[in-house]
Amino acid sequence: MRNMLRIARWEFRNRVRTRSYLFNTFISPLIFTMLFLLPLYFTTHQPDTSVKLIGVIDLSPEKNIANKLSNALNRSYKLENTLSQYGIYTISIKNAPAYRELSSELKDIEAQYDSLNRLHNRIKQERTAYFTQKATPNRQFSLNRSYERLRKVREEKELVSIELQRYRTAMDSLYAREARVVADSMIINNVLSAYLLFPSDFIKSGRIEYHSRSTADLLDSERLEKTLQNLIIRSRLQELNLGTRKVRELMRPVHLDKYKIRGNNEESWNIYAQFYGPLIGVFLLFIAIFTSGGYLFSGMMMEKANRILEVLLSYAAPGEIMGGKILGLGTVGLTQVLIWLFITFLLNSGGIISGGSLSYLTFENALYFLLYFSLGYLFFGAIFIMFSSIFSNEYDAQQVNQLLRIVAIFPVLLSLLVVINPNSFWIRLLSYVPFLTPSFMILRIPLSGQPLTTDIIITTGIMLFSIAVIIWISGRLFRVTTLMMGKKPSWSEIIYWIRHSK
Amino acid sequence: MGKKKTVEKEALLLKVDSVHKEFIDTTAVEDVSFKVEAGRVFGLLGPNGAGKTTIMRMIMDIVRPDSGDILINGSPRPGLPRNRFGYLPEERGLYAHARVLELLVYFGTLNHMPRRKAEVEAIRFLDRLGLIDYSDYPVHYLSKGMQQKVQFIAAFLHKPDILILDEPFSGLDPINQIALREILNDFKKEGKLIILSTHQMEMAEKMCEHVCMIHQGRLIVDASLNEIKKRFRDNTYLLEADHALETLQMMDKVDVLEAGSNGIKFRLSSGLDSGDLLRIVSSKHLVRHFQMFEPSLHDIFIRLIQQEMEEHHA
Ligand SMILES: Nc1ncnc2c1ncn2[C@@H]1O[C@H](COP(=O)(O)OP(=O)(O)O)[C@@H](O)[C@H]1O
Ligand SMILES: [Mg+2]
Repeated sequence: MRNMLRIARWEFRNRVRTRSYLFNTFISPLIFTMLFLLPLYFTTHQPDTSVKLIGVIDLSPEKNIANKLSNALNRSYKLENTLSQYGIYTISIKNAPAYRELSSELKDIEAQYDSLNRLHNRIKQERTAYFTQKATPNRQFSLNRSYERLRKVREEKELVSIELQRYRTAMDSLYAREARVVADSMIINNVLSAYLLFPSDFIKSGRIEYHSRSTADLLDSERLEKTLQNLIIRSRLQELNLGTRKVRELMRPVHLDKYKIRGNNEESWNIYAQFYGPLIGVFLLFIAIFTSGGYLFSGMMMEKANRILEVLLSYAAPGEIMGGKILGLGTVGLTQVLIWLFITFLLNSGGIISGGSLSYLTFENALYFLLYFSLGYLFFGAIFIMFSSIFSNEYDAQQVNQLLRIVAIFPVLLSLLVVINPNSFWIRLLSYVPFLTPSFMILRIPLSGQPLTTDIIITTGIMLFSIAVIIWISGRLFRVTTLMMGKKPSWSEIIYWIRHSK
Repeated sequence: MGKKKTVEKEALLLKVDSVHKEFIDTTAVEDVSFKVEAGRVFGLLGPNGAGKTTIMRMIMDIVRPDSGDILINGSPRPGLPRNRFGYLPEERGLYAHARVLELLVYFGTLNHMPRRKAEVEAIRFLDRLGLIDYSDYPVHYLSKGMQQKVQFIAAFLHKPDILILDEPFSGLDPINQIALREILNDFKKEGKLIILSTHQMEMAEKMCEHVCMIHQGRLIVDASLNEIKKRFRDNTYLLEADHALETLQMMDKVDVLEAGSNGIKFRLSSGLDSGDLLRIVSSKHLVRHFQMFEPSLHDIFIRLIQQEMEEHHA
């Protein structure tokens, strides 16, 4: 027993100092994490790299929505370099000939309306004078005559006003038509990424048109919708004369804190971190298992090749040697896992990764991670030892190692299925297969959203049982096969040894 | 500790009792029995593949016999503490990247030595074998011969009572062979039980007091060196004389075994005395040298094997 600890200590000290261990501990996880996060980074960040120009066609009489929108967008959406992400461009058609002609005619009518208006006001003033100065001669006559004039002017003014209204509508529809032609061509030429058309009564009706090349740019349209919603409601409230203070109070933004139901307690979550975090965890798990399992395998192969095992066998019992190696190299992997957990908690408490949203970063889950690391390591380590007992020449060993690596990738690939539906019948069944248990359970525990106590107990039991079986087999093989001299045994020989070794 | 001392006081006796070991396609050891006493060097002799290594591994409890027992002062081997044994395997192995002293200390602690003691003892042996300057070098920096010496130290650093050395002389140059013999002589004087194996008979002749010869897993002789030599000193003579070959071949009672440039080797049958023969020969030829022939172990061994094979085929 003491020799087992001595052997473990020797193995540990000699492995932890190697360059490949440092690489696997610090560089590999970084590379894997990058491989995961890079596509994610591109999908969420790519559209943000340049300013988007949004056109505005405003048919309302106030003509101030473009400014307000521009300010609001400016406040909410910025690029990294603090530039506003959206630019607002008011579509103008002032130079179009049809518009110019119509607007000069409109000016004439407006002038006519103005002069009529002035005349109307003067007559009203005259009549006021007649009323107040009771001594005026022919007062009644003057009053009657001026009334006649006032009536005529008013009639005329009404007619001109109708005319004016007609012209205005004509101009609005002309503007709307012409502006849209201009805006469309600007979208086709990629000057604008979209434009908004505000009908004259948009504040009341709340209907605004959004035109873009494709309707798929959900992110932009959602943001515009949200911003406009705020602006319009704000103007509606202002019309009620509530005072800016009251309006601001009413307009206080709503923010959804996202929670996920889990038994009695709720947890907030973030979709990306929730899925990608455990996947990275599975990768790390496998790096750890295969770092230490690989050491176990290559160490055994090497010691068989250079005959150290025979020296060790003269000092210690086979069980002590095997146990010592498993323990020592397991500690190597455990150290690796603990380093990672430590770094993760450090980053978490330092606020570098958004800790609050990573609900699975709990002490309990860290313990599960350690549990399934240990089980996975013992399982794969025992398989490695078994293979290294059977094969002893360099070439066979290489092939076995390659095979094991390929087989080991499967659980990681299959783990994507777990992400999609961690509680389905098949996933549950597959997580009882010792080969897949560590990776599946590591994913299922944070993702399933329900306590998995039974599954944890069952899988731990199955793992322990299969580990015991494999260690028993390799223990029987170990003593006989370690002294083989580069000869590849046949299956019948292997079975013979398992049956007959003492 | 106290118990160990009492064990050392009574003379050690190792008994290999009807041991049998089969591998899948060969019988490596076939019903072999012998006894080894402490205080003299015991040699296991035999050609390659005879089963020497397998026997030694069984004594070391690395391989277990299919049947038969290995007893030390009456107690069966598997229950005994490993640190009473020192083993030099036939195929040497050390961690190439470990430092010499560190490695020896590790091996020492595996034999339950305290670290300090292991360190002190290792330094003493490294010094004695001229390796002290290399104690902090990685093993792979050392030449093959030096590594071999480190391997020796690993075998007896912990002062075992029983030393099992498999082919200790292979790959050693003459100077280091002498150094090793000196160390073994010291151990012998300390009353340790020493077993070595070799397929080089000259080495065995120089080193061993008692030998067991093994061939194809079977024991063919078990006796002290003197006894064997005496037993095979069977009327064989060596004659150096001019043109005497024909004369000898003509004689009935003379059986010529070998005729070479340095003389004629022959055996006399009973009925003819060596003095009579010499008189006959010297009357006809000039005799330069005449001696009774001491067969080498090698010759004895060859003869024994031939005998054995004949018996076996009969
Ligand atoms: N581990 C093993 N597996 C199968 N055969 C073995 C094994 N070890 C030894 N043998 C066989 O047993 C016989 C005796 O070998 P060994 O004891 O090494 O002889 P020696 O040491 O005298 O050269 C040989 O035929 C050898 O091939
Ligand atoms: Mg041998």
